[in-house]
Amino acid sequence: MLSSLAYLADGSPINIWIQDTYWLWPVMEIIHFLGLALLFGGLLVVDLRMAGHLRGGTPASTHQLLPLVLLGFALNLITGILFFFGDPGRYSINIGFQLKIMLIGLAGLNALFYHWRVSPMLVTWDETTTPPRLAKCVAYVSLACWFGVLLTGRLIPYVGTG
Amino acid sequence: MLSTLENTPLAIWVGESLWAYPSLLACHIVGLAIVVGLLTTRDLKLLGFFPGVDYQTFSDLIPVVVVAFGLNAVSGFLLFSSQASYLATSMPFLAKLICIAVGLVCALSHQMREKRSMTGGAETLASGRLTKAAACISLFAWIGAIIAGRLIAYIF
Repeated sequence: MLSSLAYLADGSPINIWIQDTYWLWPVMEIIHFLGLALLFGGLLVVDLRMAGHLRGGTPASTHQLLPLVLLGFALNLITGILFFFGDPGRYSINIGFQLKIMLIGLAGLNALFYHWRVSPMLVTWDETTTPPRLAKCVAYVSLACWFGVLLTGRLIPYVGTG
Repeated sequence: MLSTLENTPLAIWVGESLWAYPSLLACHIVGLAIVVGLLTTRDLKLLGFFPGVDYQTFSDLIPVVVVAFGLNAVSGFLLFSSQASYLATSMPFLAKLICIAVGLVCALSHQMREKRSMTGGAETLASGRLTKAAACISLFAWIGAIIAGRLIAYIF
């Protein structure tokens, strides 16, 4: 799938534009780094609260931070797609990139599961409720996936093809 | 002094080992995500965003920030050691250090003021003008640190 996407991207107007605009790459990297900080800032609070590690408020109250997480994700999705279009041949065959995409998919499935099974019961919790094992599990899987995304992404320049 | 540092066995290992540099970069980005993520989120809280989130939730995360900052101080120093004399003249690198120092002063002074305000604690502190000004400076300092850090690879 990635290789057919790479075939599509290679030589496209966006591909040429990114490669010809010398300042674009560092600017996209800066946005990608700021986006990841936004994403993790909100995510750590939401997940650690849901896992029962932080006091104060209800787990549901931390959901006010979700727009921050989504903004970070949106910034990184856009810049990420542009990275791919800028250098499709490099990313599509890179094992770090492939693992990263799989982990983002896994994090997405985990978020869907959360929305379907955990979120409905969250509204009945008060500040002292001990989170059930299922909620803790979803929170830890979320954190593990996103830290995995962070690490595999950072290692893209250093790992080989997969 | 910088070239002495560069020639220590540790610095040479960082520069020459196949996996030392990437591993340190990996540590550094984990620390970045935690430190900048949590401190900027707290800054936004102090500036009046997320009114429904209890301030205690953020206070409980400070030990996590401290550990992550330690991780980045160590990984950052080791990364620096392998190209110390080059980085010492790199404008973005120096700008990044200044940004981190400003962010650190904001965070430390906030912790001290928080400890000192006995009555009302965080709620009265959060409404103070000084607190908001410091939160604003801190926000820009950490954003600046990320921008400058990225530019180390591009501006010589």
